[in-house]
Amino acid sequence: MASGSLAGQRNRFARWRGLAPVGVLVLLCVVITVISPNFLSFSNLVRLLSGAAIPLVLVMGATFVILMGSIDLSVEGVVALAAVITSMLVLNDFTSADLGLLAVPVAVVAGGCIGFVNGFVHVRLKIPSFMATLGFGFAGVGVATAILGGFTVRIADRGFRELALGRFLDVPFSVWLAGMAVLVAWVIQERTRLGRWVYAIGTDEVTAKHAGVPVERTRILVFTLAGLFYGLGGALAAAQLGQGHALMGTGRLFTTITAVVVGGTALSGGVGSVLNSVIGVGIVIVLTNGMVLMGIPPYVQQGVQGLMIIVAVALALDRSRLVVVK
Amino acid sequence: MSAPASLEVLGATKSFPGVLALDDVSLAIRRREVVGLIGENGAGKSTLLKVLNGIYQLDQGEVRVAGKPVQIRHPRDAFDHGIAMVFQEQSVFSTLSVAENIFLAREAEFLRGGLIDRRRLNEAARAELAKVHLDVDPRRRCAGLTFAERQMVEIAKALSLDTRIEGDITILLDEPTSMLEQREVDLLFEIVADLKDRASIVFISHRLDEVLEVADRVYVMRDGKVVHEVASRDATIPELHRHMVGRALHHEYYREARQAPGDGAAVLEVEGLTGRHGFRDVSFTLHAGEVLGIAGVVGSGREALARCLAGLEPPAAGTVRIDGRKVALASPSEAVARGIGFIPSERKTEGLVAGLSVAENMTLAALGRFTARGLIRVAEETKAAKSWIERLSIKTPSPATPVGSLSGGNQQKVVLAKWRIAGSRVVILDHPTRGIDVGAKEDVYTLVRDMTDEGLAVILLGDTLEEVIGLSSRILVMRDGRIEAELEAPPGGKPGQVDLIARMV
Amino acid sequence: MATPLLSRARVQNALPVMALVVLTVIVGTIEPTFLAPANLLVVTADTMTLFLMASGVTFVIMLGCIDLSIQAVASMTSCIVAAMLAQYGFVAVPVAVLAGALSGLLSGYVYVVLRIPSFIATLAVSGVMTTVAYIASDTRSVPIPAEARDAWLFWATGRSLGVPHEIVVGLVVLVVLGGVLALTPFGRYVRAIGSQEQAVHASGIAVGRVKILAFALSGTMAGIAGVVMGARLGSGSPTLANEFLLPAIACVIVGGTAITGGVGSIWKTFIGALTIAVVRIGMTFLGVSVFAQQIVFGLILVAAVALTMDRSKVAVVK
Repeated sequence: MASGSLAGQRNRFARWRGLAPVGVLVLLCVVITVISPNFLSFSNLVRLLSGAAIPLVLVMGATFVILMGSIDLSVEGVVALAAVITSMLVLNDFTSADLGLLAVPVAVVAGGCIGFVNGFVHVRLKIPSFMATLGFGFAGVGVATAILGGFTVRIADRGFRELALGRFLDVPFSVWLAGMAVLVAWVIQERTRLGRWVYAIGTDEVTAKHAGVPVERTRILVFTLAGLFYGLGGALAAAQLGQGHALMGTGRLFTTITAVVVGGTALSGGVGSVLNSVIGVGIVIVLTNGMVLMGIPPYVQQGVQGLMIIVAVALALDRSRLVVVK
Repeated sequence: MSAPASLEVLGATKSFPGVLALDDVSLAIRRREVVGLIGENGAGKSTLLKVLNGIYQLDQGEVRVAGKPVQIRHPRDAFDHGIAMVFQEQSVFSTLSVAENIFLAREAEFLRGGLIDRRRLNEAARAELAKVHLDVDPRRRCAGLTFAERQMVEIAKALSLDTRIEGDITILLDEPTSMLEQREVDLLFEIVADLKDRASIVFISHRLDEVLEVADRVYVMRDGKVVHEVASRDATIPELHRHMVGRALHHEYYREARQAPGDGAAVLEVEGLTGRHGFRDVSFTLHAGEVLGIAGVVGSGREALARCLAGLEPPAAGTVRIDGRKVALASPSEAVARGIGFIPSERKTEGLVAGLSVAENMTLAALGRFTARGLIRVAEETKAAKSWIERLSIKTPSPATPVGSLSGGNQQKVVLAKWRIAGSRVVILDHPTRGIDVGAKEDVYTLVRDMTDEGLAVILLGDTLEEVIGLSSRILVMRDGRIEAELEAPPGGKPGQVDLIARMV
Repeated sequence: MATPLLSRARVQNALPVMALVVLTVIVGTIEPTFLAPANLLVVTADTMTLFLMASGVTFVIMLGCIDLSIQAVASMTSCIVAAMLAQYGFVAVPVAVLAGALSGLLSGYVYVVLRIPSFIATLAVSGVMTTVAYIASDTRSVPIPAEARDAWLFWATGRSLGVPHEIVVGLVVLVVLGGVLALTPFGRYVRAIGSQEQAVHASGIAVGRVKILAFALSGTMAGIAGVVMGARLGSGSPTLANEFLLPAIACVIVGGTAITGGVGSIWKTFIGALTIAVVRIGMTFLGVSVFAQQIVFGLILVAAVALTMDRSKVAVVK
């Protein structure tokens, strides 16, 4: 049957396309190693990993949202707020709190709350997700600023900072933590109903609804889940920098979306996986690191990432599915 | 008849703004019975299905399962009551595995400690697949399956109900054969015969021969009502068709007296036109003053042909000439510029811009003519709109009224006016009377005759066969993407519907 | 059926103006000096850069799309004009505006030709423009010498007959762009595409070209806004307009232009800009910090989107 061979062809193409990000990552590593052999040194690899930790955590949340065909632009706001909350709850020079590591779950929950608000407003008021998350993302930065009034909190808690600075098997704790976040996200994606429903919604929301998938509840839950991951990312950022201020999320949105998209998860939803996003983070981090090794100024990175988004989305887009793009 | 019917609909009534979609419909599906449900487009079949699947709620009437009234508010409820639908537009998710598709939204039984037990899920799916004799790995992604295989996955999903609920199950098959090849249709029929041991089946199709082959009993719907019920062994195709159409032809209805002979100059010459999908090697010539009807079932390629001629789907091969000059049909802009106007079946998405006024819609395709020094001459635009409102007797408070607030028939006239203002010489009508009421239909027929009187050429994809026969001076019958026959249809010498159907299927 | 629809439309039309009047009265009651003519002039002048950005993005939003690159574009052109003005004189201004237009063209191209959703296309382009800004400014804040400003940017920052030139520029833009939207085929097509793109395409209109042009217009206006902003502040910097994206989009939506497209006008955006300005000043009087005002703008934006969007047009809200 004609449609059968066509489907088969498309399937082969999809499989080939699915492997492309891995190829890009490998190629990138090879090229950078040739130009700058330092790239493969142990200390540089550890630097790469610790640079990847926070993006990995953030990307785990964003992937689910994008798999649903939605978008979350609130990353920077949530990260900033979570980082500020964390910095104010551990031993610091701004408040008298000293919760130590307990501040981490508080920050995670705070992130989850913003995520919930994102999802709730998006679903109940039927506002496009990019608009709702844009609004609440800015609101998040605003809250963080309102709390501190422009002040920067310095973290004095050595134990807490061990999260980022301490090492296990020569690898920073934050990397282990990010690895656990990936594992959790992967299990959610593969082994829970939420994970399966995310794919169904991203593929065809109306049909998913007709099949009995609780679409609205799933959507809210996914935005909440994303918020939880961002919250963790914010706490890690506080640990890494040893401070908390309202602009700590700056640039995170870009890296996150670039990583998801470059990893091969389609913005139209339904196609991709958290593992794709791990590869995506790899590409972004390796490229950044390579550019530093090659002496390219850091401010060029945003431009390069912008171009990467365009190229990756243009290559991955399944145009046959789109009638009207807005 | 003593046992209660497995599924019963009593006095079902459902209306949408301007349309009574279901009008006091009652029918019953007995245990282990295959029931055929037939009717033309808009007869109410799909509305009924959506009611049974919980997508629409009835205004009046009730649904009974095994004699007990039930509420179906959600597709989930339908499942719980043993009603499963196999959709015409397939609802298999290409991104999920076969097993995940079969048990989508019903994964609860496979949860262990909050996680899905994949081994058990796949085993259960394998059991369901065996019921439909489909030999695919349940772990496989559906993206790689053929259309027929996906259909079987859907049926397996429906069948998975029988061990999971108490009582009987009813499976609704909505146009299941429309995209299948004969071999696959035969397989489907075997499976339906198999299924009779465990389920009641409602088989919806426009292919009457298939319905008679597979069903025990047939219901005919028309205009939202059940108009006929007959046991298959007592039914004949012409009789069923007569019930579907409902009235005898009368010539006045289609203004046959005004039918032009269609011997004007050749306006549109199509040669070996082949689409990227849907139709192959189509050739015909269209003359000024002629109505050329194209008949064919869904999937015959006539819709794709119409869209291609409108420039919406560029052709893969062949040549098209307008007034002897070649036209590539690469875009609607080109088709419009060369004098082709397209009145689409999807009026609200492709015909009208709801947010613009009546006048703005009318001038949309020829705005350049109402522009001087970069600015739109609004006064002139309004004047033109007023004159066409009068000519086509469009009922609208003013030219500035948003077009969305007009009735369907008047909206259709606005689309028509757009092409008249743009100076189109070939007008393609794709289901021009779909979803508008009877009086407005007659208006549209008059307007078609007006156009041909003025020397325009019309291509008509009628909503019903009757309409195609009544309006056209010549009829092309399409089947499987090719022109199967070309019939003359002079007034008084019109071909019969049965003649056409025989060539369509 | 037609009547309630009409009245709903009427209410939606009148609401933004009413909101502006009520807010002005409230702020005037709290702080009577606010209503002094001189102060109102200053407030309006302050609002105009925001309006310039918002006026261009109105076209994009009316298409049913979004342009998230305007802040980066405005920052970039402020850098370009600041870096070039002293040396090249007035030429710096058209060059900066042209850079904005090119950026918009790039967004439009990426969106239309590569078929990438506009929010992601413009987000990506904003990254590229930020990098351009850093390169143009050599990563610093670039001062505009006072004498160069007075010589070449007087049209933007001067005063005539006591009226700040920002207001004049704003009014010219209001009239010109208002005319473009209401009276030209391009404006008609923008409105039509936002309302029902497929029908416009089927009517033989080159939809893609109209869209690209709308994005180019948005980039151009963001570019002009960046120049005026730089002139007012006396410097250009790669982060100059960073706080302006949200308020600019809020101006458009608060004015009554729906995020779903097809409905809107430049006049509405003008009203929206004044409303946002009054809210901002009201908050300042109440002692809300400038940064924390983002919370309020975020909430206003979400609320305005919820009020204005036409849900019947989108089957699935993503």
